[in-house]
This record gives sequence, structure tokens and C-alpha cells, in this order.
Amino acid sequence: MAETVLMTWVGCSLGIFIVGCTWRILRYALTPVHLRWDLYPVAHEPAARREHGGSYMEELNWWAHPQRRSLAGEVLAMAEEIIFLKAVLRNNRRLWLRSLPFHWGLYLLAVTTLVMIPLSAGLAWRPLTFLLQAAGLGGGGLLLIGAAGLLFLRITDRELALYTSPLDRVNLGLLAIFGALSTAVASSQSGVTGAASLLASLATGRHAAVTLLLGIQIAVGGLFIAYLPFTKMIHFAAKYFTYHKVRWDDAPRTEDTRMARRLQSALDYRVEWSADHVQTGSTWGQVAASMPDAPGKDTD
Amino acid sequence: MQKATIQPLKDLEMFLAADETVDVDQLIPLPFPYEDWHDEPIPGLSNDQASRIESGPDGVCAAQIPVPPSDEARERLVAKFLEGLKKLLTRENNWTFLQPLLLSMDNCVKCQTCAEACPIFTGSGRMEIYRPTFRAEMLRKIVDRYIKPGGHVFPTLRGNDIELSWDTLVKLAELSYRCTLCRRCAQACPVGIDNGLITREIRKLFSQELGIAMPELHEKGTVKQLTVGSSTGLNPAGLMDVMEFAEEDILEKTGINIKIPFDVEGAEYLVMHNAGEFLSWPENLQAFAIILTLAGISWTLSSELVGYDSVNYGLFYDDVQYARVALKHYEVAKKLGVKKIMVGECGHAHKAIMPVADRLIPDELRVRSESCLVVLEDLVLNEKILLDPSRNDFPVTLHDPCNITRSMGIIQPQRNILRKIAPRFREMEPHGVNNYCCGGGSGFAVCQSLNFPSWKAKVSGRLKFRQLLEAFSDSIEPETKKYVCAPCSNCKGQMRDLLSYYQAWERTGMLYGGLVELVVNAMVDVREGFIDWDFH
Repeated sequence: MAETVLMTWVGCSLGIFIVGCTWRILRYALTPVHLRWDLYPVAHEPAARREHGGSYMEELNWWAHPQRRSLAGEVLAMAEEIIFLKAVLRNNRRLWLRSLPFHWGLYLLAVTTLVMIPLSAGLAWRPLTFLLQAAGLGGGGLLLIGAAGLLFLRITDRELALYTSPLDRVNLGLLAIFGALSTAVASSQSGVTGAASLLASLATGRHAAVTLLLGIQIAVGGLFIAYLPFTKMIHFAAKYFTYHKVRWDDAPRTEDTRMARRLQSALDYRVEWSADHVQTGSTWGQVAASMPDAPGKDTD
Repeated sequence: MQKATIQPLKDLEMFLAADETVDVDQLIPLPFPYEDWHDEPIPGLSNDQASRIESGPDGVCAAQIPVPPSDEARERLVAKFLEGLKKLLTRENNWTFLQPLLLSMDNCVKCQTCAEACPIFTGSGRMEIYRPTFRAEMLRKIVDRYIKPGGHVFPTLRGNDIELSWDTLVKLAELSYRCTLCRRCAQACPVGIDNGLITREIRKLFSQELGIAMPELHEKGTVKQLTVGSSTGLNPAGLMDVMEFAEEDILEKTGINIKIPFDVEGAEYLVMHNAGEFLSWPENLQAFAIILTLAGISWTLSSELVGYDSVNYGLFYDDVQYARVALKHYEVAKKLGVKKIMVGECGHAHKAIMPVADRLIPDELRVRSESCLVVLEDLVLNEKILLDPSRNDFPVTLHDPCNITRSMGIIQPQRNILRKIAPRFREMEPHGVNNYCCGGGSGFAVCQSLNFPSWKAKVSGRLKFRQLLEAFSDSIEPETKKYVCAPCSNCKGQMRDLLSYYQAWERTGMLYGGLVELVVNAMVDVREGFIDWDFH
């Protein structure tokens, strides 16, 4: 019975996670085209320009030159960010010392979990079990160290505490507990095989025995996964948009009919802003082509 | 490290309620020869002013919001603000920046990595209300509490425990004018959150819904530009007088007879200057005229309304006004049939005319545009004008306008020119794409009202002035004349105020000016001494 409840919980959590992430990504992806708001350095500029943060606009008659975009530059920049948290390292080393183990712990646990599912059949092979155990131990330990360190910093450092809500603390506390539980589960061979069997059973529907410790770990993990998309911890998905669709979105307009259509539909929106100088009710295109009304402050 | 003691999320409101003025003793110290420098406190508003005009939590006033006559009026304004906030989050009313706004509102993890990057926060001695996340967090709390469904559920637990009132809104509006939108914070953010953009969106909400904006940007800025022709108040007839004077001045200073071309149809370049140059720094437009004419370039100015002023203050506070001015710029260029627009030495005009307008101007009005810096680089490096760098044998440093560097990635052309024409050129640190704002960005340079000039000299420009002193530390004595090259009209406005406030000419022999003046100063075909060191 308990196993069934747990399985249902894990299944629901994954379902909520997928729906939540999809909703969050669509929230950003389906917004209209926005005005350009580049921020340099831009990673896909060729290396010679990327080094000093330059752009194609440094060239005379820039439109007459072929646009050279370095995919490798983008991949490298994102890899440095995801793996080493480079911006935090450069600008906030004290936080980085805690944030790096926190993120690596999450990465390791996520990878270990994913690998467990297809490999669960081969767990009798001892080196593999050992490897998964080590990954679980390492991931859980790093997460525990990172989350506890961040929680401590956010409580004790006045500048961080000011901007940390009680719910933020709960989140970090929960992740620290999850890290501790993951370490405890991974410390025994039966814990790893039990977790793998449970995860495999999600696909096969077969019954899997679950210890109390594993049950608690899975329950807490499920809770984390379920509410993750509804918190700012989803920034791993948002980061794609902030970098690729805002900061690095420097492509000059061409004879691109799709862009022209998107812009036209934006210019056809009706403006509802109500200050005196805005012609409320007109389209953006009409407002832009008009002159302002007499100025005035609406404060009476 | 200080300990947090009380309910953290209430503290933001406590900082607002504290009405803490800038403690001038906490401002970052300045190096030699300013160890003994003493700043007077920023003056408060007079009783009469305070009875008429609202001020910020620091007692400073930029937006000049009239005090509402009654509680009912205050309540109406709060309700209107919330209506505007809803509009800010809709695609119909904010297609222009909805995606970047949502990303920045939803995903800030409040790690405060951005704080160290902010010249105002650090320059002020870390005043909490100037922290990049402070005003963003205020807006976020209001959205979470009053706009999102279920915002009143467990507000303390979720950090939405803000009570909205007119007083809170006034402080939010004023705080949106304590950030220069330099976006250095965004550059430092690991997630890509742009607190500069959020600040601009706050200004926009107040402007487009409540009609509240810094007068120098709105009534005296974009409205005047669209109706009179220029935010300086210069109309086409006045423009002709200014140009006639400029031609006479060029002849007198250089011995060269130049006719400044106007409304030349089909010219290679329509040159767009910030009209502030015409009145405050005519030597800049004169230098452009000399260089372009002697280099044999086909160019023209426009005498049409808005066409002779590249300013677009809408970029700083209002999408509607931004779009109107941008459209007008391109209409003028298209009507003249010029091949390209060349943007003069004005940072925000670069950004307004080039990348931001790129997705606004309809196909039938599109004209190619480029920076004057790349054109100058071509002329200087390819020796299309003859130069004698020894004429510029004095220390020179370069101030990077944020809008040209961080927001457009134009970094090297101006350096390549300086390396060629100024043998004693040195960088300040940090520079280029990582520069510090001059402290006059986002319209601050043109705000000369009430106690705001005192604030921008002491607080927003403090770090920049320290950078200048450090850049010239090897020759700081006033006998050695030195030159701060600031290729941006608004930056020059701030430099003028900074150098004046800190008595930099008397103490250090520091002068500021544009890039073209240095180029002309080195031109062999021009009489020596174009830079006037007595102008300080």
C-alpha cells in the first residue's frame, strides 16, 4: 500500500514537473517579439571581437559584411555558466563556494537518477552499483554542503537575509534534507538497488520493495520536483531565454517576412495606457505616427 | 558580517520609511589630491518645495511629482498605478519589452551578485535603497501581492508582505530615478536578470499610465522635441543662426572656410547630432564639419523638426514617446533620400537609432545607420585625413558611454583612433564593455532641478570621478593639462558638472571634451590649437 502511494506520488510529481516546466517555458516563448535589448559581450561573436565584448557594429558598413556567428562561442559560454557558474565565480566568490557544490550535487543526483532507470536491470554487476553508489553519495553530500551553506549564508548575512523570504529558507532547508537523505540511501548497496528498482517499476509497473529511508527520500524528492517549476529555482530554463533571446539576440533585421509579420501584429495591438500624451484606443502603429497631446500630470 | 535580526522582508519597507538621507561621510573616498575633500550634505527641499513636490526616501527629488491635494486623490492614483501594472504585464500594452520583463521579474534568485557591479550602490557607501535589487524587489512584491491570483495567501511566508500606499509609490517612482540604466548589474548577473530594465519599466508605468516622469525627459524633453524640433528648444530658425556662427568660428579658429550642408538630398550621410552640442559644445559639431568636409565625404544635416536632434529620451522612460521620436528620425532620413544615417557623439542616440529602432521602423522607412566612431576610425587609420599626433602630446583617457559599449558592443574603433592620435592615451579601469557609467546616464545629465544636481555629483558620479583621478595618477598635478575624452553628449554634460563640483581644473588641470575635437587638434591641415584649454 505504502509503495503504491509512493509510486503514485512520484508519478504525480513528474507529471506536475513536466506540465509546470512546459507552462513556464511557454510563458516566455509565446510572448510577442520585443525590441532589441542586446547586452555585450555577446558569446556568438567571433573570438577576436568576443574577447573585448565587440559587435558587428564595429565595422564600417556593417550590413555589407556576412554575419559571422560562432556557435562554439555560445556553447562554450553556456557550458562555463552551467558547469562552473562562471558569472558567480567572477563576481561573487563567497556565494560561488556554496553555490557550486549545491548545483553539482543536483546535477549528480539528476544524472544518477536518470542513469539508474535504463541500467536497473544490470545492477547485479557490482562495479556499476559501486559507481552509482559513489555518484549518489557524492551528489547527496555536495547538495547537503551547498544547500546548508547557502541557507546559513542567507540567514547570517544581512544583505542576503533582507531579500530571502521564509519560503526561500524552507526550500533550501528541504534541499539540504534531501541531500542528507540521498547520502544516507546511497551509503548502502541495498539503498541504491532499492532506488533503482523503484524507479524501474515506474516504467514496468512491477511492485518494488521500499525501505522507510528510501521512502522518505523519494517523497521529499518528489515534493521538490513537483514545486520546482513554480519557483525561481526554474531559472535553469529561464536562462536560455535571458541569454539567447534577450542579451545575445543581436540579429539585425533582414528581409525576413516572418519577423515583419510578427512586428506588424505587435503594431496592430491597441494601446490602453491612459496618460494624457498617449492616444488611448489607437493601435501602436497609429500612436507612434501621431504627435503627443498637451503634457499634464494626472495628480489632481 | 552583520547578523539579520528581524523579519527580513519587512525590512525593505523599513528602509523606505526611514527616510535616510545620503551620509556624505560614507561616500567612497577619493585618492590624491582629494584626501582632504569635504562634501557638504545634499540639501533638502525647502518647506515651500516640500509642500508642493514629493521627494524620494533619500530626500532627493528627480521626478518632481506634485503632492496630491487629498487622500481621495492619493487613493485614485494608487488604483491607477495598479491598473497600469496590469497593463505592463500584457502583450497588447507592453509587447515592446514583455519577454525581458517577465524573465527578470520571475527569476531573480536575489544572490546580490549585481550589487558590487553598481556604481551608485557602491559609490554611495552601500545605501540599501540604491541596491539594484531594491526597487526591483519592491515591484515584484507589489505584483505578487496585488496582481497575481492568491497574492494575499500567506504573504509573509512568500515574501509578499507589502502594503501599497501613495507614499510607497512615490518612493518607488523616485527610486526609479536613482539608477542610470547602465546595465552593469545585468552584465554581472549569472541568470541574466536586468534590473536596469525593470527600473525603466517602472518609469514607463508611471509615465504611460499616470503621466508622471522627470520633466526634463518628458515636458522639456520628448514633448518639446516633437513640437519645437529639439529638446533644447532650438527651432529651425535658431538652428540656422547657430550654424552660421559655427561657420564663422571655424574660419576664425582654423582658417578654413566651410559651408555646413543642410538638407542635401541623396547625400551619403545624414549626420545626426545631439542638439545639446549646438548650444553647449559647438566645437564638437565644428570638428565634425571640418573632418567630414576635408575628408571629402558627402554629408548633410537636416533642418526639419526632430531631424536635427538625435536625442530620444523616450528610450529612458516611455515607449510611446520613444517610438514617436524614432519614427520621426527615420522619416526625415528617408525623405532626404540619404544613403545612411551617421549618429554623432551621443551614446543613447546610438542605441535609440540603431539596435532598438531596428524592430520598430517599418520597411518603407528603413535607412541604414552606423556609428560616427567607425566612420572616424576608417578616416584616421586609413590616413584619409593627415594627422600629427604630437599636437596631442598630453595625457588623455577615454570614458566609455554605456549605450555605445555595453549595449552595442562598439569598443575598439574609438581606441584605435586614440592610439593613433594621442601618444599619451591611457585606459581607465575598468573600461570598455565593463566601464562605469559617468553618473549622468538615463537622463540624469540634463536634470538640473532642485537638489538632484547635488546628488548626481556626489553619488552617481563619484566612482567615475575616482576613475578619472586614478587614470591620471602619474601626472595629476594641475600644471599638466589633461583630457577626458567622452564621445557622448550626455556624458559630457555629466563631466562638466562633475569636474566643476570637484574643482578638477584647479586641482588637477583636467578638461573634458569629445573625440572629434582631439582628431581635429591633430589634423595637419588645420591651424594648431583647436582644443581650447581655457574653456573649462
